[in-house]
Amino acid sequence: MSETAPTIYIVDDDPAVRDSVAFLVSSVGYRWVACTSAQAFLDVLDDETPACVVLDVRLPGLSGLELQTELLRRGSSVGVIFVSGHGDIPKAVRAMRHGALDFLEKPFDDQVLLDRIGEALAASAETIRRRSRQTTLERRLSCLTEREREVLALVIAGKTSKAIALDLDISVKTVENHRHNLMTKAGATSVAQLIAWASEPPPG
Amino acid sequence: MRLIETARSARRTVVVLAAMLALLLAAIGFGPSAGAAEDTRPVVRVGVLAYRGAEVAAANWAPTFAHLSKTLPQYRFEMVTGSTAFLTAAVAANRLNFLITNPGHFLELRIDYAATALATEQDMNGSYSDESVGATILVPADLADVQIVTDLRKRRIAAVARDAFGFRAAWLELLERGVDPFRQTDLLFVGYPVEGVIDALRSGRAEAGIVRSCLLEQLIADGTARPDEFRVIGRKPSGTLPCQVSTRLYPGWPFVKVAQTAPALAAEIARALLVMQPAGGEVVWTDPVDYRLVQDLYRGLKVGPYALFTPLGLRDFLWEHRWWGMVAATIAAWWIFHVFRVAHLLRRRTRELQRAHEQARVKGERMEHTVRLSLMGEMASSLAHEINQPLAAILSYARGCERRLDAGIDPEGVLEGVRRIAVQAERAGSIVKRMRDFVRKHPSQQLPLDPSRVFADAIDLFEPTARGRDVRLEVDIPSTLPRVMADRLQIEEVVLNLLQNATEAVSGVADARIAVKAEAMDHVVRLSVTDNGSGVAPGAIDLLFEAFFTTKPEGLGLGLSLSRTIVEAHGGRLDVDIDTPGATTFWFQLPLIEEIARV
Repeated sequence: MSETAPTIYIVDDDPAVRDSVAFLVSSVGYRWVACTSAQAFLDVLDDETPACVVLDVRLPGLSGLELQTELLRRGSSVGVIFVSGHGDIPKAVRAMRHGALDFLEKPFDDQVLLDRIGEALAASAETIRRRSRQTTLERRLSCLTEREREVLALVIAGKTSKAIALDLDISVKTVENHRHNLMTKAGATSVAQLIAWASEPPPG
Repeated sequence: MRLIETARSARRTVVVLAAMLALLLAAIGFGPSAGAAEDTRPVVRVGVLAYRGAEVAAANWAPTFAHLSKTLPQYRFEMVTGSTAFLTAAVAANRLNFLITNPGHFLELRIDYAATALATEQDMNGSYSDESVGATILVPADLADVQIVTDLRKRRIAAVARDAFGFRAAWLELLERGVDPFRQTDLLFVGYPVEGVIDALRSGRAEAGIVRSCLLEQLIADGTARPDEFRVIGRKPSGTLPCQVSTRLYPGWPFVKVAQTAPALAAEIARALLVMQPAGGEVVWTDPVDYRLVQDLYRGLKVGPYALFTPLGLRDFLWEHRWWGMVAATIAAWWIFHVFRVAHLLRRRTRELQRAHEQARVKGERMEHTVRLSLMGEMASSLAHEINQPLAAILSYARGCERRLDAGIDPEGVLEGVRRIAVQAERAGSIVKRMRDFVRKHPSQQLPLDPSRVFADAIDLFEPTARGRDVRLEVDIPSTLPRVMADRLQIEEVVLNLLQNATEAVSGVADARIAVKAEAMDHVVRLSVTDNGSGVAPGAIDLLFEAFFTTKPEGLGLGLSLSRTIVEAHGGRLDVDIDTPGATTFWFQLPLIEEIARV
């Protein structure tokens, strides 16, 4: 699904800054998209591709921090790296609390930026991967019957087939049947895998 | 002690004089023994010029007085001796009936007091009555280098007095030989009696002396002078007069009647004089002679009655009016002092004023500079950001180039990156230059310029600040405007002040907007800055343009006051409109050059 190359979005109102960051990231072969404003970025964002955004805190119209909030709301996979000409401490604190990967002060060290971009892209890819797995799991689990769901919940809770049969007041044989069916429907090869999937936090 | 001595000596003098007078009067048979108390005869006062002192005069004229007393016993004759000045004063005061004086003095009295001559003195030696008086110029016999009259130049010459007849006679002779005694010789006036001249010659105080004719012969006869002691300079023929003279001869002394004296008395006196017989080889009296020669002398010398302003008269005048003179001199002195003082004060005040002007100018420039620095301080963080942008870009470009070169890829990209580095470096440089220009100290100079450029520069400089404060700038400035006479930086400062002010006013306002509009109007260019901020408090409107009035915690309170000062120095106006609700407009206007030229 995520076969497209990762994309670096550069959002800054200063054309020189925009262009120079693009010049830098292209030197290491990244694909990049430059945007003059937050709204323009939202318009072109492809959330299915691993991506990160190098975002100026201070922007005309929708500000950098407001854009971050909007991305959180959408559950976007895009990693956010803030850059600022001001070194504005309160803004930096707020940005980091909301999951920004870094807050770099202009002029920034190229290696630090590229490292952060790499980390952000990796995180973004992971998020997308997890999100697709989750989606698959959810779709499969949606096929389970009422009795199968009840059994699954007890399996995840770590109960044996006998205990489940006793709890649900059914035969052990019936429990074994339900377990087999739900394992097939979820596509899990073992109970341990099933438990691992089910305990994962939702992505975003 | 001294006083007592002085008093004693004065008393002694009085006693001696009194004794002499008594002797004298006794000698002419007219002593106090005649009984002044019961003597009721009319008094006839006769003044006598005492050119050799009272004693000699009295002795000289004693025979005449004796004759008169004998011939006219019904009168009591009183001799009054004195100098010409004294006698003139006595005539003026009507204290004399007659007087015996020299021809020159008589001439003055004839003209000034209508005096007439009753008789003329005739020398007993038989000279003619109309040539019996002259002057003799003497030098010590051993003074070899003074032989003729012109040798007297630059010599010290002693004479009795400026108005003595002898001196005047000699004066004319000297003048006729081209020697002006007052300019070309050193004159020494020794005063009466005439022996003072001889003393001056003997003591060496003078090298030459002017004396009355026959004085030398009298002194030799007396034995008071040796015959070989003095030599006569510039000898003239002396006719029948047995004396050496240096001047022409003038008539002898007249017996003068004063105008007020009764003609009957005068007739009696004249008759008595003419019948007087020479008693012992002294003077006798003849009919009065013509004194025209004397008149010519006086006219030639412009002295006596012919003086435009006689020395005596001038001296008298000055003396008489000395108090007024002193007052006038004081006033004149005070006035001169005042004039100099005023001139001095004026110079000093002018200097002070110039210094004060200079100080005010320097102070004004310093204040303007302070406000500019303050404005720059308020914009500093925005401008720092503005400079930081190109620096950040440069760094990224440089690193990008480095990575391309390391990887050996994209040579065109490297070239492009380097070009963009140059562009960004220039951008940073121009921002720094603009800031430096703005805060640089500079002498104020107004030049013809297009204000649109100045307005645009100021707005460019302010733009980052507006952006940093989330203020929208709506700029409406034509690309060209009519020219004005202005100091670029000062006008830029005014625009920035207004923008800064407006930004403060809209802080905290949602949708903060500042509209900047420039337009050419009739005769002026006008720039207005309108904000949608909180407006001006009613109480503050009057104080807005006062120096040090501010509503901001960090403001200097100089911005608006200084801006108005600057605009007014450009012949323009700066003011505020608050009439539209929700909009405050500060505006200023500058006169167009064409308008200035027309006025």
